[in-house]
Amino acid sequence: MNNLSDGAGDEPSGTIKIIGIGQSLRGDDAAGLAAVQLWQQTYQVRNVQPNVQVELTELPGIGLLSLLEGAKVAILVDAVYSGARVGTIHELTENQLEVFNNEAGTAHGWGVAETLSLGRKLMPSALPGKLILIGIEAGQLTLGEMLSLEVETALPEVARLIEQHVSMELLHD
Amino acid sequence: MNQDIHIPALARVEGEGALTIRLKDGAINEILLNIYEPPRFFEGFLHGRYFQDVPDITARICGICPVAYQMSSVQALEAALQVTITPDVRLLRQLLYCAEYIESHALHIYLLQGPDLVGYESAISLAADAPDLVKKALRLKKIGNDLLKTIGGRSVHPVNTCVGGFYRWPAQDAIHALIPELEWARQASIDTVKWATTLNYPDFEQDYEFIALSRLDEYAIYDGYIVSSNGKRTPPEEFEKHYLETHVERSNALHSHTVDNGTYFVGPLARLNLNYKKLRPIARQAAKDIGLKLPLRNPYKGLIARAVELVHSCDLAIELANDYQPQGPSFKEIKLRPGEGYGVSEAPRGLLYHRYVVDEQGLIRFARITPPTAQNFAQMEADLWALAPTVVNLPQEEASLSFEHLLRSYDPCISCATHFLKLRIDRE
Repeated sequence: MNNLSDGAGDEPSGTIKIIGIGQSLRGDDAAGLAAVQLWQQTYQVRNVQPNVQVELTELPGIGLLSLLEGAKVAILVDAVYSGARVGTIHELTENQLEVFNNEAGTAHGWGVAETLSLGRKLMPSALPGKLILIGIEAGQLTLGEMLSLEVETALPEVARLIEQHVSMELLHD
Repeated sequence: MNQDIHIPALARVEGEGALTIRLKDGAINEILLNIYEPPRFFEGFLHGRYFQDVPDITARICGICPVAYQMSSVQALEAALQVTITPDVRLLRQLLYCAEYIESHALHIYLLQGPDLVGYESAISLAADAPDLVKKALRLKKIGNDLLKTIGGRSVHPVNTCVGGFYRWPAQDAIHALIPELEWARQASIDTVKWATTLNYPDFEQDYEFIALSRLDEYAIYDGYIVSSNGKRTPPEEFEKHYLETHVERSNALHSHTVDNGTYFVGPLARLNLNYKKLRPIARQAAKDIGLKLPLRNPYKGLIARAVELVHSCDLAIELANDYQPQGPSFKEIKLRPGEGYGVSEAPRGLLYHRYVVDEQGLIRFARITPPTAQNFAQMEADLWALAPTVVNLPQEEASLSFEHLLRSYDPCISCATHFLKLRIDRE
């Protein structure tokens, strides 16, 4: 449990931030955390690149703005509800996020869309120029449960997607 | 209002809430407030776990007040294991609690309840018209989070607190570096108290029994004796004898009441009304400058109480940060022994009680967590009944909003997502 961090602070310029959001004690709610952790284990070369930073956070709420501050690109990985098949991977841009959120929403209090909307209004220059949301359709959010098999099965593909985005951003750097 | 109202629960994490109001022959027939409470799950989840894991696990109950859950749990476990913390540890825990009050109160005042009282749907719509106000709120909240992170290791769920003290002392220069921002926050809080007087509070006063911790030597937040506005004083170890919880069929949550079967009210109004004289002088002055008359019996004016506590918390944080000079080990070694212990502290939302039984191997054999929202639950329902006659003739949407505003004034666990809730009106 102590390996989580939300290390907001001075970032090197051009930082790519990968932010996994979710609760580790609540079933598929942990999908975002698990996917980012799997990506870290699979693509270990990224662990030593100073301009690639990882944040694993449970309930950031409005604190998400602090996590995003200073990053050039942010990739948010989170559990979502949209009524799609459990384990479905949703790849969204920020523009799509608001539309998505009208019908569904991530499972976290001050929703990602709501928080970003506030940030874009108040501190547009401090937020990343590009934001990618990878959503994983959640099934059960039961306290104390593990990930469902469907979400577990989807994780390698989510890790591959994260790596694909990170590689592309590094190429553009 | 001519139809039933149903505000459904949505997927969320701090707790799930639903409110249903049913009409019969044009009058309110039934009010059902249902709040799902994660703490009850955590009581079972803690069973069989090692005592030192408890502060980390309980911090996950609430994203807004993790420190409160840690502070009540470590005190209960230290009592069970007969550990006495050092004065430096207590001071640092007080500073950590200040951080939580700053971030939690800033959030509730400006981003949750504030928009209701200035007639905005949410903080986002408020930000469009009053960006500086919302920026101030975010800066205040960030100062709390930064302090929390410096002491606790993380800004959302702190991990540095342990039974017996802290895993490590935070660096002195890191704490001192926060003082200029805390000084800005203190002035911003004084301005917040003034701003709070400009809001439109509904005219709604009730005769409450207020319950809060109290101490002779300070404004009680970290620990204290349990006192009531009716004069009763209760030591923490007797809490469960005087404040009972009963299961209510229609609700997942337990309802708290006094042993005389009365409802009671915990939170900032209770603290301010019972402990005003123990506030830091600068906070008392801020209250005096706006002509504050106590006791406050209007739940919407909990916002004013929070604003006054914000001044107190910033001022105390500055003093504690300036004096921070820890000596010796940051935690006490613990000898395992079976025992039972109680811990009570004042979460931003009100009194938070923990009780644990630990066995000879340091494993948890029993956990009881009574959160403030559960204690206010019956009072919230009573207030909804009291409000109902005044709103029953309003248009449907307006009536729904009135009920929502009242609930939000309590800052219940559901409040962090209440703006996220979408209203559905049953058409039967």
